[in-house]
Amino acid sequence: MTELLHFAGIGLMIAGTAFLAMAALGVWRLPDLLSRLHVLTKADTAGVALIALGAACLAQSFAATLSLLLCTLLVALSGATTGHLIARDHVESASSQEESP
Amino acid sequence: MMVFDAVLAAACLVAAAMALFARDRIAAVAAFLVMGLLIALAWLRLGAPDVALAEAAIGAGLTGALLLRSAHRIPAAPTKPLPSAQWLGAGVLSVAVGGAIVWTSMSIGAAPAYPPLVAVAVPESGVENPVTAVLLNFRAWDTLLEIAVLFAALAVVAVVKPVRPRIAPLGPLMLPFARVVLPLTILLAGHLLWQGGHAPGGAFQAGAVLAGGAIALGLSGAVRPIRWGRAGLAWLSILGLAAFAVAALAAELLTGALLGYPAGAAKAWIIAIESALTLSIAATLLLLFFGPAERH
Repeated sequence: MTELLHFAGIGLMIAGTAFLAMAALGVWRLPDLLSRLHVLTKADTAGVALIALGAACLAQSFAATLSLLLCTLLVALSGATTGHLIARDHVESASSQEESP
Repeated sequence: MMVFDAVLAAACLVAAAMALFARDRIAAVAAFLVMGLLIALAWLRLGAPDVALAEAAIGAGLTGALLLRSAHRIPAAPTKPLPSAQWLGAGVLSVAVGGAIVWTSMSIGAAPAYPPLVAVAVPESGVENPVTAVLLNFRAWDTLLEIAVLFAALAVVAVVKPVRPRIAPLGPLMLPFARVVLPLTILLAGHLLWQGGHAPGGAFQAGAVLAGGAIALGLSGAVRPIRWGRAGLAWLSILGLAAFAVAALAAELLTGALLGYPAGAAKAWIIAIESALTLSIAATLLLLFFGPAERH
């Protein structure tokens, strides 16, 4: 059982790292702000959640699992909110530039 | 882990260079924030989780927020390059300071004298976390003066009376965000404060986290910071220094030593002082962010 959890944990963390690497690649390669935000917010949240899940498999303590859950929740919340704020600012400044060229 | 440490050190340097050489000021602040987080990781790798927490919460988080808040209002940096004599002088100075630091840390040797002394004396301090034992008991005098410095900084800002940031409501998602985050930061601050007694944590980290939550609430536009009662916040910001000074004098009366807590009750004294400090530090950081006084 412990062995199984260990391998599951490692596997989940590798998957999470892959998501984060993908997010980094997206930010680097994608052409404009909105598509960068699109890849960043989703892949970032999924990556952190997977890594936290993997770490929870390895930690095997209830308190540590709870802290990891809290980390995931906060990263998901702040990621989504900052993504929204940046996109909003971008859209607003773009539309105000169109109005007064 | 050697590879990780090398990559981390290189990343710190790259982030520092980006913060220095970025043309756009917002980009420079973002690089500074990233550097703060990387340095927090480095502190963790050096076995100093207390410093890592403080660096992440204050160095990266709140300093970053203050810098971002000010970045718009400072006029653009001059684009003409510095004269080469200035470059040369700065370079010589940096190399000299860096060399002095390396030489000092080399000549101290591998085992500084302080940690073993602290380890021996920790059971007498009332707390189990050696960092808190040093900050709030063995060298409590230093911490008292540090709080005085923080208050002096706020007083200077109050005298200068900077223009307050105009808080435009940040959109429909900010209020739900603050609704979740603010209660969590209050819980987390209480946790960090209590945890400081036996594990990394303490008043500075707790106060910074609390201030972060309150700033999120202020930026959501739900509560106009003007209506928060700035006088109340100002009183709160002096509370920590006042409580610390009163505790120092009370200890002097009770035990004959300034900040020498009565035997057996040290933990209660430390937690009481730290609680006042947490609220005070949070209020100070909040006033630094939203501006302590209206400009007339």
